[in-house]
Amino acid sequence: MFKLNLKIAWRNLWKNKVYAAINIGGLALGLTAFVLMLLYINYEKSYDNWSPDLKNVYQIREKHDFFTPDNKEHWQEISNSRIAGIIKESVPQFTAVTKIDQEWGNGFSVKIDHADPVMVKGIKDADSAFFNVFPYQFIQGTAANALKEPNTVVIKQSLANKLYGTDHVLGKEFKLVRWRDDTGNSLKITGVIADVNTPESIQFNAVSHTGDQDHDPDQIGSSHYTQIYAKSEGDIDTLSANKSLQKVYVDFKKKSFAAEKLSFKDVYKDGKSPGLKAISLKDVHPNPPFSLNWLDKLKPVIGISIFLLVVSIINFINLATAQSVQRAKEVGVKKVLGAYKKQLILQFLIESTLQSISALFLSVILIEILLPAFNHQFNITLSFWHNEYLFSIVLQLIAVFIVVTLLAGCYPAWILSNCNPVSVLKGNYGNSLKGITLRNVLVVFQFIISVTFIIAIGVMHLQTKYISGKDLGFDRDKLINLRTGYDQNFADKIRRIPGVQYVSTTTQVMGNAFNNKSKIIYKGREVNLNGVTVTMDALQTLGVKLVSGRLFAKEYVQDTINSVVLNEAAAGLLGKNMVGQTYGKVDYQGKTITFQVVGVIKNYHNEGFDKAVLPTVYKVSNLGGTSNTNNLLVRFDTKNYKGVINKIEGEWKKLYPDFPFQYQSMDDAFSEILEENKRFMNMIVLFSVVSVSLSLLGLFALSTFVAKRRTKEIAVRKVLGASNFQIVNLLNKSFLILVVTANLISWPIAYILVKKWLEGFAYRIELPLYPFLLSSTISIVIAVLTVSIQARKTAIAEPVVALKYE
Amino acid sequence: MIQLTNIEKYYANKGVKNYVLRLVTTTINQGEFVSIMGPSGAGKSTLLNIIGMLEEPTYGTYHFMGEDVTSLSERKRIELYRNHIGFVFQAYHLIDEMTVYENIEAPLLYKKVGSAERASRIADLLDRFNIVAKKDLFPNQLSGGQQQLVGIARALAAQPSIILADEPTGNLQSAQAEEIMSLFKKLNEEEGITIIQVTHSEKNAQYGNRILHIADGVVKEDVAVLS
Ligand SMILES: Nc1ncnc2c1ncn2[C@@H]1O[C@H](COP(=O)(O)OP(=O)(O)OP(=O)(O)O)[C@@H](O)[C@H]1O
Ligand SMILES: [Mg+2]
Repeated sequence: MFKLNLKIAWRNLWKNKVYAAINIGGLALGLTAFVLMLLYINYEKSYDNWSPDLKNVYQIREKHDFFTPDNKEHWQEISNSRIAGIIKESVPQFTAVTKIDQEWGNGFSVKIDHADPVMVKGIKDADSAFFNVFPYQFIQGTAANALKEPNTVVIKQSLANKLYGTDHVLGKEFKLVRWRDDTGNSLKITGVIADVNTPESIQFNAVSHTGDQDHDPDQIGSSHYTQIYAKSEGDIDTLSANKSLQKVYVDFKKKSFAAEKLSFKDVYKDGKSPGLKAISLKDVHPNPPFSLNWLDKLKPVIGISIFLLVVSIINFINLATAQSVQRAKEVGVKKVLGAYKKQLILQFLIESTLQSISALFLSVILIEILLPAFNHQFNITLSFWHNEYLFSIVLQLIAVFIVVTLLAGCYPAWILSNCNPVSVLKGNYGNSLKGITLRNVLVVFQFIISVTFIIAIGVMHLQTKYISGKDLGFDRDKLINLRTGYDQNFADKIRRIPGVQYVSTTTQVMGNAFNNKSKIIYKGREVNLNGVTVTMDALQTLGVKLVSGRLFAKEYVQDTINSVVLNEAAAGLLGKNMVGQTYGKVDYQGKTITFQVVGVIKNYHNEGFDKAVLPTVYKVSNLGGTSNTNNLLVRFDTKNYKGVINKIEGEWKKLYPDFPFQYQSMDDAFSEILEENKRFMNMIVLFSVVSVSLSLLGLFALSTFVAKRRTKEIAVRKVLGASNFQIVNLLNKSFLILVVTANLISWPIAYILVKKWLEGFAYRIELPLYPFLLSSTISIVIAVLTVSIQARKTAIAEPVVALKYE
Repeated sequence: MIQLTNIEKYYANKGVKNYVLRLVTTTINQGEFVSIMGPSGAGKSTLLNIIGMLEEPTYGTYHFMGEDVTSLSERKRIELYRNHIGFVFQAYHLIDEMTVYENIEAPLLYKKVGSAERASRIADLLDRFNIVAKKDLFPNQLSGGQQQLVGIARALAAQPSIILADEPTGNLQSAQAEEIMSLFKKLNEEEGITIIQVTHSEKNAQYGNRILHIADGVVKEDVAVLS
């Protein structure tokens, strides 16, 4: 029986090749999208999972407002370096503590003997305790001794192979130059560790111990911020550990405030509070300090891929039930031959299993083909067959497969096995067919999804166009950033190169925005602004637009003393006619310095359009504190500045032979900012195209079946004198109602979703109407076309054929 | 074998009962060959469907082989289909996706007949009906008469004690019809299979040994055929 059923299933598939292909292909697409998502989620979940000992490793997070994008307090991954020492002393739960410096800039320069320097990313500077905390496996050297001495480095096997072509590198030395005029450290390789097989939240290729992390800043007023990780011996009660951490932190803060003559109460007001906690390493990746975590970021995509799967399952069900008209006779006959209902259900389940297995194989092939593109899109390295978690992924896949098969197979099987043999054998099964309502509901549902997608694409396209065409407030043409500190000597040298118009620096420019809070007192009112340090002609270099007053200029002596320029956002906070006004600022010694506003400029963008431009004050003077900048802006007065850049590189090489020359054009910086949004947009477009085509394929196949089912009716009508057009209309009408209904439902859904998406942008378009109108038009036109093609085929067929056949 | 007592069947339409069968009472014994005749719409098919348990009467009792059919479970009914009842339809109703061989084999599979036994029975039937050469063809590759032969072969495969046939020759030419009727007669006489057929043709009815005349749902006449 089983063999025969399988045979029948195969013959049926073969007889309806096209629909079977649509069915299987659609399901395969849906499964593929879903599996890619599964792989991605598994990848994200596998972070910091490379050793069981990592469960005893914790990241220390301090709550503070330094280096934040919004100048507000966050639980941050970087903490005051002094905290490490305090934990070591007074929190006995943690037996080892290590400090890891943040990586600055775009990597460090590594110079091996007399070879050209190469940039290497992920060289982290730590103290000697790094390998006491992290259980990396040493291929050469030992964890206990590797970083004992200063000026040592432990590198990963992959980097050893890249730099030297071998991992037998113990005892070799290279020169590490961290910034352009760093004299550099000669580091001795004292260990090689194995690369790990899961992604890591601390990405690194080498850990150096220069000695810089061994001590904290001497002055009580200055602090150094590093990442701090601690290890416990066995399981600890994190709650009580965190209580101890909080207590020692408050003590530490009180003590240091006393030394700085600050009052604890003054610092922690306006809802601010001190905070220190340890979070387990596995919680680090899911809880980034500023941005959304991956799961939240991924939610829309997860939603979409589930929808895709649902759409393809719906297709499956629809086609199967539609086909049941053809299968009804078989069921009726089998029933009177003595088949149990159970056997019939089983038969149809076998058939849908056969199809979903084919879909599964197809989707595995598709995944293999698509993975490289997917990896590229998301900048990760996923693999299916070589996945660490292949077993669990396969289990998940099997679970999905079973659910899909049951979902897709059960309903049609139930419908079919339930049909009444008498009516079937009398030949009027089509009319008595249940499931028509459900099929219509499913078609509507599919179209709701598709129409919503089309609307979303439309709105996203308009918003993206708006953003990429938006006036940035500065001129990004002919402007590059050397991503290095400002050095008068070097700046003067490149100023003399023909083609160079301005050379300057600022703490804040697109691609490298560094926010520094600056509290001022204006007319007795405290206002928080974002402080940006610039050189004299930085604003000219950027090409910002002046609203009133003037920009900084050499001719005005006071510009190096106490002049400031505000952007419109800041001016808006303070009042009208700000030019000429003065405000005060208390410096760290408690003295009040007076600044005078000399100009107001239009807001210009440094960051993504999801963030509003902060109210900002620009100053040249180092009065009231400055920040190190890591930007060197060069504006050219010619479009063809490639040659000029070569000359700048020549000057660079003369001055800084140990550090490679690098730059980023502002155009590229801008594209990078748009990148994330573009990726998201691309993905939505991709998914939408797939979903819309699935729905249309489904509709196509369905209309074919309906036309087929009504073949006799159509033939009779033709014999009675109906025109082809009338017949096409007849078939269209039933589908048109469905599509229009779907449109009506999807408008409000799309409205809510799209509005929410737009709200993520500080700069956004008004919600436009025409994507809505457009998507409805498109969906209706396409549906009518699809159905018409099928209907026409049936309509123009010779009526005799149909009537004879019956 | 079959005992119908006061069988009634009506369809309620807008509160009006449209009677299809009224107080039909009759007994059909093992080994009879009964033809049901009457004008179109008289209720012939309905009566046959009730006998075949495809439809339920609205009123009345029906005993099949001494068992009350109205209280029969679905499982029991299917057992009857497997072991005792063979259907032959006017529109043949072969399964399009199965070959001739497989169509005949299907009831044997449901009956769980062993494969050797199955093969010999099918070979026997194919041989008897002269369709050995057609065994691997699909129904749409056969003529109407050939399809009906397969239909009958299928009905016989499970070796039923009764065959119910609703206008088995309705779609066939008279030559083919005669062939099928003599086949029925032979089955009835040589193997003792009870046969109940619905027919419009007086000539076909003569093959049997009893005729039930029905008009407006009432058995008007119950006559024996003299041979
Ligand atoms: N589902 C139904 N609803 C209402 N009336 C029905 C239904 N099925 C059958 N009938 C009615 O029952 C009556 C008898 O139908 P039946 O099929 O038994 O006739 P018949 O004697 O077989 O006729 P024919 O020789 O044309 O096949 C008809 O008048 C028909 O209208
Ligand atoms: Mg009839």
